[in-house]
This record gives sequence, structure tokens and C-alpha cells, in this order.
Amino acid sequence: MLSVHQDVLQIIQAKFSSFEIVKSVHLNVSILGEYWSEQHHILAVVAYHSNSALFLFSSKKPKPFHLSDLIIEAVIPIDENFECLSDPIPGEHNYLLFVVRYRKVSFEFRIKIGPESSNFASEIVKSKERFLSEESDKRWLLKYTDLYNSLENTELKSQLDDIPFIRQKMAQNQNSINRDSMLKYQLKLKEPEFTQYQEFTLFIGTWNVNGQLPSISLKPWLSSDDDPPDLYAVGFQEIDLSKEAFLFNDTPREAEWEKMVLDGVHPKAKYRTVALTRLVGIQLIVLINTKHYQYIRNIAVDTVGTGLLGKMGNKGGVAIRLELHNTSLCFVNSHLAAHVEEFERRNQDYKDINARINFRKYPTAIKDHDQVYWLGDLNYRITELTTSQVKTLLIRNEMAALLRADQLNQQKERGNVLLDYNEADITFPPTYKYDLNSDTFDTSEKARPPAWTDRILFRGKGIYQLAYRSHMELRISDHKPVSAIFKSEISVINQAKYRKVHEELLKRMDKLENEFLPQVTVDQTEVKFDLVKFREPQFRDIIIANTGQVPAEFEFIKKLDEQSYCKDWLRITPYCGTVNPGEKCDVRLEVNLESDLTELDDILVLHLNGGKDMFIIVSGKGQKSSFTTSMSALCRAPMPIMNLSEIQWKKIVALEGEVLYSIPRELWLLVDHLYKYGLAVRDLFESNSTQESFVKIRDWLDFGSTEPLPGSVETIAETLLIFLSYTKEPVIPFHLHDVAIAASSNYQSCKNIINQKLPDIHRNVFLYICMFLQELLRHSNENGYDAKTLASLFGEILLRDPIRNSKPQASRENLVSFIIF
Amino acid sequence: MSGGPYNYSYIFKYIIIGDMGVGKSCLLHQFTEKKFMADCPHTIGVEFGTRIIDVCGQKIKLQIWDTAGQERFRAVTRSYYRGAAGALMVYDITRRSTYNHLSSWLSDTRNLTNPSTVIFLIGNKCDLEAQRDVTYEEASKFAEENGLMFVEASAKTGDNVEEAFLETAKKIYQSIQDGRLDLNAAESGVQHKPSTPGRNNLSNDNQANKDNCSC
Repeated sequence: MLSVHQDVLQIIQAKFSSFEIVKSVHLNVSILGEYWSEQHHILAVVAYHSNSALFLFSSKKPKPFHLSDLIIEAVIPIDENFECLSDPIPGEHNYLLFVVRYRKVSFEFRIKIGPESSNFASEIVKSKERFLSEESDKRWLLKYTDLYNSLENTELKSQLDDIPFIRQKMAQNQNSINRDSMLKYQLKLKEPEFTQYQEFTLFIGTWNVNGQLPSISLKPWLSSDDDPPDLYAVGFQEIDLSKEAFLFNDTPREAEWEKMVLDGVHPKAKYRTVALTRLVGIQLIVLINTKHYQYIRNIAVDTVGTGLLGKMGNKGGVAIRLELHNTSLCFVNSHLAAHVEEFERRNQDYKDINARINFRKYPTAIKDHDQVYWLGDLNYRITELTTSQVKTLLIRNEMAALLRADQLNQQKERGNVLLDYNEADITFPPTYKYDLNSDTFDTSEKARPPAWTDRILFRGKGIYQLAYRSHMELRISDHKPVSAIFKSEISVINQAKYRKVHEELLKRMDKLENEFLPQVTVDQTEVKFDLVKFREPQFRDIIIANTGQVPAEFEFIKKLDEQSYCKDWLRITPYCGTVNPGEKCDVRLEVNLESDLTELDDILVLHLNGGKDMFIIVSGKGQKSSFTTSMSALCRAPMPIMNLSEIQWKKIVALEGEVLYSIPRELWLLVDHLYKYGLAVRDLFESNSTQESFVKIRDWLDFGSTEPLPGSVETIAETLLIFLSYTKEPVIPFHLHDVAIAASSNYQSCKNIINQKLPDIHRNVFLYICMFLQELLRHSNENGYDAKTLASLFGEILLRDPIRNSKPQASRENLVSFIIF
Repeated sequence: MSGGPYNYSYIFKYIIIGDMGVGKSCLLHQFTEKKFMADCPHTIGVEFGTRIIDVCGQKIKLQIWDTAGQERFRAVTRSYYRGAAGALMVYDITRRSTYNHLSSWLSDTRNLTNPSTVIFLIGNKCDLEAQRDVTYEEASKFAEENGLMFVEASAKTGDNVEEAFLETAKKIYQSIQDGRLDLNAAESGVQHKPSTPGRNNLSNDNQANKDNCSC
């Protein structure tokens, strides 16, 4: 049967080879557990010949559009180690808990019940069946666990051990929790390397005491064997049938029975109570040989009532969980619903206990434990036979016939209860119902048929049962106590080996962590610009290539004590961004020189978020220009500045030598041209001239030429504005800026500043410009300029703020407008 | 168990400094990867490496910044000294000039780090005994006079590399135990809780975006 999402199936298929067939997919899977982010997850069953595996993907979108949306998060082979089961989620009727286990790894997925989930589940079942007939080969999965390929000294064998594979979450964000969960997971996988099994003897006992007082020694029950067990789990039912016990869940019998147990344990060893829990009359005590006590950790208890209203504690179960060395154990004592015909209630009680026992921390559920021992008065009876038939069969010792009629055996066989649990063969007579203080079956009027109501079952690996018996000598109740002895394999950590494995894993993770640092290369770390000229931008592109395994977030960052991440003549676009593994990003470095710098040098720091920094050296030579030379220097230059010798240049820059002109030659050339050809031109200063035409005029001024001044009058008008905007000192020098602003509302003060404070050349330039502006106003009718427009245009140029780009103020206009009139 | 068996309790920031070509990156590589990196290119920038170590039963994560040694980057690499808990100052025993520059590296370190920063002097390339240009005694005396820890090591053979990094960590850890190193100080170079190596703030202010940049 094909998957519900045919389109998604095809996208996922694109991730695999043509021999690897995506059989079924399931969208919108959420993963239970704290370590997984809120991503969209998809499950897929993929088959390769007779082998199959379950793939877990994370997807950027709920429904992927392209295979690049998908990341393989986990790969779980569907082979003999693969187990899966589904459980209802209490309170969520539309959803199902889908549990996948592979050796000690387990995932819990929450999926919506529907055709998609049933198709998917049937595909898994089919895959598992298909596997059973063939031999397992996991090699095809290796390529999907690419993260390990980079590790050296990893032979195929040990790589195969890393399957099932779970992607390191640290690749996405370096979070210590992920590192921890990864380490825990890896330690689990490596457990066989540092653990060994040690056999422990467990005594499990159950007795329904029928509300009787603890008046007799329990030794015949608890210490009938030669050797003392390592652990006791002793369960009672009906220790108190009083109304008070039922209503208040409080009874003095609890302590009394505990004392009886402690008095009754095997004399050859010392024991202490690990935990005791009780629900009304259902009590469970776990004792451990004191020499093992220090190896017990993470003890928790819980109780579940299934009695009246499905909640009260007259029936139900109590449970104790713990870890002994490295094995988790869970003991459940249950007293299920009574009466012969109520076997379905008993099944339901079992299911309720199973679902509702919750230890909160540690593994929370009964089923999550390595070993579970289920004991108690399960109350299953013998049906289809009358009391006399049962008794006759017992006398004839035809146990097999009787056990076939046992409800628990029947229900278990049908999968209705205690599925996966084992029970040893019963060789003892039914433990219920006896006349008090006798070994005689019920002789009362009711004459209930005898039954094996009191049972002990187990589930888990490495459990071998040595004994299963009843104890006839204890006669105070209408039930006989039952006990079982197990030899159970407990995983014990070899500390030295554990440390070694732990160290190795840490090292390996350090190595992985370093490998998962963002890595990029830059195609050039030295960027040289040609001769950089005034207002003639150049650019170079550098390529940032992600050579690492994770997305690299880059950003150019500031150096110590610097205002910005690059010098003001440089511009970087983009200055930050993200590059995905295997991808590249072009970054443009653009220089635009607007000052008299001759040496351009900068070191850029390219920072990778969570990783290294790279330096990129930017260098170039700036060419001098009259535009960035001071007016005082220009007035000393006998010829265009590019024709000056180095000595001459140094001299004029140092303002040495004779002042040859009252205003800079270049300014005169520009203004004179405009005076001759531009006064009547409409919107003279509105030009949008090209870079190229500006460069021609700049070079004409800087190099000199016999040709006429190139370019249109508008371009030349714009060049005049540029010239005045970039002179090394503005016409009103910076040190007079504030004074000039303060004086701007008063004509006389302005006049004083101009006449008395301005250096000669600056005053000449100022007056020269003003005269030119007056000429322009004389042609207002043609060129369309009024005084206010011109004042605002030139005001902010003549009176420049020491801090570039600050907003022009009205006062600047005033200063100029006063002068023009 | 503080921090649990899987976690680490502290993060220490280290810097590695010294002239170009003394083997700073190779020391880092040997320490993090246990391998010698032949033909290691000059570092143009600051490499970053990390490893978790065990000091007195405490798991400590080292974040190591390996700086470019070229003189022209000196002004930029100074930005990385801030907040270093440990400084590994490296010279090459076969090149006296690299040893002669130590006082300049040392004064940078003293000026730019805390008084509690542990400075460890490493004479690298001690496998090249035949080409030795700086005696052990001489360097040892320099270290003693300036209160530095000192070993000769080889990034090639791995000799003393582990020791240098671990001894530095031990000394830092002792300073914490003694209370000489104030964990709350912004630039102690030690963090008590695990965190990610975030953006390295080279200066106090946050990024000043250029007004002409859009990103």
C-alpha cells in the first residue's frame, strides 16, 4: 500500500538511491523528550533489498518542498533489535504514542491516529516480517551516518556499532544540554564495554492476608531457602479491611507488617528497607542486603487505585522502582478486581495500573525498566469447572487441565493482559480459598472453587527463575503466600573501564565539536586597490566559502577603540550574513576616496559566530587632488598640482612659499566658465552628471590641459559645488563655525567675522563666490534662482559642520543671504 | 555531583601569543587534535579551538584563541587579550629574535589582561635541539624574573604540550579556589556556567553600524 503523501514520498525518495525504496512516510511527527527542538519531523520507512530502516528527518517546513529541506536526524535499522509499540496518550484521543526501541535507544513519537498512521504502522510490521526471513546487513545505512566517516581509526565494525545513528545536535547549536544528551546516548551504546553482568538472587513474595493481624512469624515464607537472597520484594494485599484504612489510607498495620517482614528475613544476611509503599491494603516493601545498599539509586514509588469509581484504593497497584548498579528494576504489587466473572475488569485494572503508574523522574513508566516483577492477588479464577471437578483434578494431580482453565493463562494467551510477561510453571496447589487456620479448601456454603489468585510474573532480559511455590504453613489467611526466587543478571559498571570509555567519548566529542565549529575560507586575505582617485570608486569582490559542516554566520566586527568595522573610505556589502555549508557568498569591498589620504590601510576582522576570526588586509594608494587640498596651498601652486615636483608639492602643502593667487586657480577656472556660459542657464545646479564627466573635469584641473574645460555647464556647476564641499578647510574654517552660527542672525556680526576673522584667502573666496551669486541673481529670470535657494545651496557648503553630514541649519542660509544683498 | 558527570563547571578563555612562525597554531592543534600539523599556513586572523579537560575532578572547558603573530596584525590582535584567564606566550628556541621579542609580548599581556591572568611561557620546537639558539637556563631565568610559568615543549612530538595547557588551567583553578580571581569581574576570563562562545566583543560598544550599510 502506498503512502498517503505521494508528493512528499517522492521528495524523500530523492534523498536515496534507486535501490533504496521509500516505502511509507509519516508527516507531522512530534518527538517526546526535552532534547528535541520544535522542528517538523517526518518518519520514513526505507527498504534496501530485504533490509529496512526507519529514518527520522527534520524538516524546515511542515511539508517539505525540496530535498534540501530535510535533514536526517536518526537512522534506526528494522531488524531483530527493532521493537515498536503504540500506546494511547491519556487525554488525547486523536493521538497515539508510537514507541520505537532499538537495544537501549528509544524514541517516543506522538502521531495522529488516522489512515496515515495505520498505513505507516503496517509498513513497519511488513518490514520487520521481511527482515526476519533474511540476514541483517546494516552497511547500506553507513552513508547516512556521514558524521562518523570523518573519524579516523574507525573501522567498519565500530562504525556499524554507531547505528542506530542520531545526528549530533551540537551541529546546530552549541548547547551543553545537547552535548550531555549526546554523551548519555553514546555511553548507553558503549555500555557493554564497561559493564559486566553479575547474578543477584531476588526473592519476590505475595500474600493476601485477608485483614488478619500479623501474629505469626513469616520465616517459613521468607527464609525457607538455604542461601539468603540479595533483595526482597514482598507484597501484601488486604492488610487492613477497616473503613478507616479505606477512607483515610492510614493504618497501623503498615509498620506492623514491615516489622514482621524484617523479623522474617533470612538470618544469614542483614537487610534494610529500600522503600515501602502502600495504598489502603496493598503494601509493597523492598529490602536489600546491606552490602548492596550503596549501589541503589533513584528510588521512586507510585500508587494507582482502580477500585470503586475506578479510582479508590480498595483495588489497584503500588510500584517501586530503583536502579541496582546499572540495571533498572520495577516491582509492581497489584490487587485486581474480584469475582469469578470479572476477568475483563481485571484486564482493565492491569491496563490502568500500567498506564497510570508514573514515577515522574527517571524512566516514568513501568515498561521503561530493564526488569519488571509483577506480583499480587491478580484474582484470576478457574472457570468452566465446578468446585468438585477442580478438587477431583487436584487429587488426581492433573494440573495441566486445571491450568488450561486458569483465566490468567487464557487472557494472557489472548494478549489481553500481562503481554510480554513470563510466568514459571505452577506446581503448587491453588492458593485460594482456604478455611482459616487450615489447609482445607473453602468448606463454607459458597464453596468457591480453588484458584491461583496469587501470582508472580516477570519481564526483562537475564532473569532465570529458580523457584515458584506456595507456603502452606502460613494458615492465618484464606490465601496462602506465594514466593519466587530469581537469579537476575544485574549490569555492574566497571569503574576503571567506565572512566576509560567516558574519557574517550569526551575526547571524541571535543574533536567533533572542533569539527563542527563554523569554517570558512576567503579567497583573498589581502585586497589591494589600484591608485585610488578622488571620488572615483573602485571595488573588489571577495568570496567567503563555507568549508565547514555547519552554517556559518559571518560579520565584520569592530576592532578595539574603533568606531566602525572599517575605515570611512571603505564600504562592505553585505557586512554580515549566513553561508550554508558548501555555499559561497560574495562580499563587495568598495573604496571611495573623499579626503587627502595617500596611504589607504585597513585590517578587517571577519568574525564567524561561535568560531574563529579572519583578518583581511585592505590597502591602496590615494592620488592627490586639488579637490582635497587646502585653498591656501592651492593659491601657492604655480601650475596644476599633478605637474608639481615632489619637493614643490611638499612645500605648498606646508604653506611655504609665495602666495601666487588671491583665490585658487581651479576655483577661478570653474567660476569663470560659469560666469561666461552659465548665468542664464535654467536650473544650473540641478545637474545629474555622470561619474565619467566629473572625472574628466577633475583631471583637467589637476593635470592641466590646453584643451577647453570639458563637460556641460551643469556638470561644471556641480563640480564647483563638489570643489567647495571637499576643500581641506571649508571657506568658513572649522574653528569659526560656531561663532559664525551664533552671529548668523545679525548682519553686522556676520560682516565683522568675514572682514576681520577670516584668513585672507578664505575671505577672498567667500567674497568671490558671493559676487558670483549676485551675478546669478541678476539673471534670476532666466536661471530661475532666487536668493533663498542659492543661500541654502551654498550656505551648507561654505559653512561646513566639523562633523560631516550633520543637518544644514537655517542660520547657514542667513549668513550667505546677508552677504549677497 | 556539581554539574553532573557529563557537564563542565567552568569555561576558561586562553590566548596564544608570540612571534610569527613560533608554532602557536601547531600547539593548539596538537592540544585539541593530538596531531602535528605539518605545513601549517600562517594564521591570518584568530583561530578558535575548544577542549574539555579535568582539573582536580572538575570538568573545565577551554576556549582557546590562537592569534596571528605577524607584526602588522599586532594592533588588531591586542583586542583579543581582554578577558583571557590564561595567556600562553610562545617563542621558538631555534630563533633568538622570537625570544628577544618576549618582553614586548609580555608588556602587552600585562597591559591588556587582568593581574590574575596566568601567563605561561612556552619555548617551542624543543625537538630541534641541534638548532637551539636560546638556552633553557636563560629562558628559565627570564620566566622566573617575570613570575611566569615555563616549559620547553614540542608541538611536533607533543612533549609538554598537554602539560602547558593543563598547568595553566590548574593555576587558574587555584586562583578561583583562593578567591584571588573574582568570577564576577567582567573580564576574569572565567565563566562558571556553560555557555556558547558567542560574538567576541572586540570593543565595549556593540556594533556601530555604518549609516550607509544595510544588512
